[in-house]
Amino acid sequence: MKMAYEKRKSMYGYGFIALWFIGAVIFFLIPVVESLIYSFKEVSPDTGGMVGAWVGLGNYNYAFNVDPNYRQYLVQVLQDTAWKTPLILIFSLFVAVILNQKFRGRTFSRAVFFLPVIIATGPVYNIINGNLQSTGNSDASQFSTMFSTDLLGELMKFLGLYGISDSMQQTIETVSDNIFGIVWNSGIQILIFLAALQNIPVSAKEAAQMEGATAWEYFWKITLPYVSPMILACFIFTIIDSFTDPNNVVMGRILDLQSDWQYGPASAMAWVYFAIVLAAVGVITLIINKFVYYEVE
Amino acid sequence: MENMKEHVDNAENLSARAVSLTESFQDDEQVGSGMSKREARKIRMKSMNRTEIAYMRRQRLFQLVWPFFRFFILFGLCFVILYPLIYMISCAFRDSVDMSDPTVMWIPRTLTLDIIKETAGVMDIWETLKTTLLLNVGCSLIQVASCALAGYGFARFKFKGKGLLFGIVIMMILVPSQIISIPQYMLFRHFGAFGFEVNLINNKLCMYLPAAMGNGIRAGLMIFIFRQFFKGLPKELEDAAYLDGCGPFMTFIRVMIPNAASSFLTVFLFSVVWYWNDYYVSSTFFNKNQTIALMLKNLSTLLSQQLFNNADVSPREQIVWMEAGCLIAILPILVMYIFLQKYFTEGIERSGLVG
Repeated sequence: MKMAYEKRKSMYGYGFIALWFIGAVIFFLIPVVESLIYSFKEVSPDTGGMVGAWVGLGNYNYAFNVDPNYRQYLVQVLQDTAWKTPLILIFSLFVAVILNQKFRGRTFSRAVFFLPVIIATGPVYNIINGNLQSTGNSDASQFSTMFSTDLLGELMKFLGLYGISDSMQQTIETVSDNIFGIVWNSGIQILIFLAALQNIPVSAKEAAQMEGATAWEYFWKITLPYVSPMILACFIFTIIDSFTDPNNVVMGRILDLQSDWQYGPASAMAWVYFAIVLAAVGVITLIINKFVYYEVE
Repeated sequence: MENMKEHVDNAENLSARAVSLTESFQDDEQVGSGMSKREARKIRMKSMNRTEIAYMRRQRLFQLVWPFFRFFILFGLCFVILYPLIYMISCAFRDSVDMSDPTVMWIPRTLTLDIIKETAGVMDIWETLKTTLLLNVGCSLIQVASCALAGYGFARFKFKGKGLLFGIVIMMILVPSQIISIPQYMLFRHFGAFGFEVNLINNKLCMYLPAAMGNGIRAGLMIFIFRQFFKGLPKELEDAAYLDGCGPFMTFIRVMIPNAASSFLTVFLFSVVWYWNDYYVSSTFFNKNQTIALMLKNLSTLLSQQLFNNADVSPREQIVWMEAGCLIAILPILVMYIFLQKYFTEGIERSGLVG
């Protein structure tokens, strides 16, 4: 039997993804549906599988109204993500622009900035972060202890920022206190931005130079539009990364419940959490997509 | 902005000025007829108006000052990143007494290899390394292959339901593995169908099976990267192979994979790192499992059981053993990274991270 070329090609397409698809059904789709079912049940493990009775929205009720910490944790994680994500994005774009320039020691700096990518996903990160915190070395004060003076305060005085307003000073201090976390969580984002920057056509750069654009104008009028699709990608990646981080408090609470064999409430919490993440990602994607510039080819 | 407008307005001198401007951007090493750079610049300046000269001045000042700024920024940030590593090395080779000595900041008073040896002993390092290599590195290799297949299928073939199926890939990226870990546990506990059941818990298969079918740790992200990458390769590559009578599968193996070598290396590095650092999945499916990440995660318990005999050792003094454990755990991937970083840092534009 002879099939049309296009049809044969599409059959090969199914062939290529078949292995993955079977795996996805067994190891991903069925477990996802099952965990959704658990969230409506009072379940406990038994020989032969999970057994349990339907409790309707009972587990969801438990998550919000009975559990002492869940709501508070949820708000905390949302707040943390809300202010950390833009900071990580701005920071990683800034670093990527610098690392894209030509200078001595560029390869070394790039290697150093990608280093967190290989370390930050593991337990090593928690240990070094914890150890540094317990010795009081995790934040900007590490510089201060080294030079035995309040370096940040001095710098703010020097710039004339000190004491303008309390809230501003507070903000600057929180940011500098978290610089460790921000730098260490920006590895992949820097990588993505750098790749995007390397894809800016040389002709665009030349045209801008001909017209006498300053570096500042070049950044806003050339760099930013060209990397804007990647801003969206980085944004989503950062949000997912921070929401699914096993170290955040909501994840911690869910894992605690799971190790307590309370699968029903744990699943309910996980699904509420996941729905919020999904909604946040969806809304923000819609908003950012309006400002994204796609080059028509 | 004003500069730019002015250029457009003064049309008569436009081309001449544009040439002089672009020249000023290049580091003109060879200036003709034996003039020094400074003289050449002077001559060029004569044909410019005031705003242009001001623009040139600003540009030169910026180019003079910026490298210093850049150096300080990069130096500071590199310091923030390298600080824990330097601290790790400094701690791992010192005696625990040094931790409570306020005069010891970076250079240990007593250099010793004992701490490293003790920690390696507690972590049962050779057995652990063997398990990690067999289980995690093996899985990551297989997963690179299975994800490449799926990624290629999504990148190059048109078929019905492709959008929907790719939606599943996106879902795999979004859904945290913690949500599905318990159904997965039950799946492996009672693995099989039609009345036939095996218990795969504590069996290496429960990590190898998902990896081989492109559903292991962060498989969604890897399929996504591969898809973006294969989309970026020129179509002519395959058309040529098809014309010569090569089937799609052989085309993939003979033509696409060799062309994708650098991106395979990047994804391989990611994959190894993610599997190497994983402790959640392996601790779910194994009652007792000696992977290096798990050992490190439980290191403080192990230390107090085996080394301190449940004696009270202050957390501050424990740091030396913990940091030594960290050093042991990341050393292999650190060495791998140092060897591969050239491809990693220079070859990312071809790694498929940009679509």
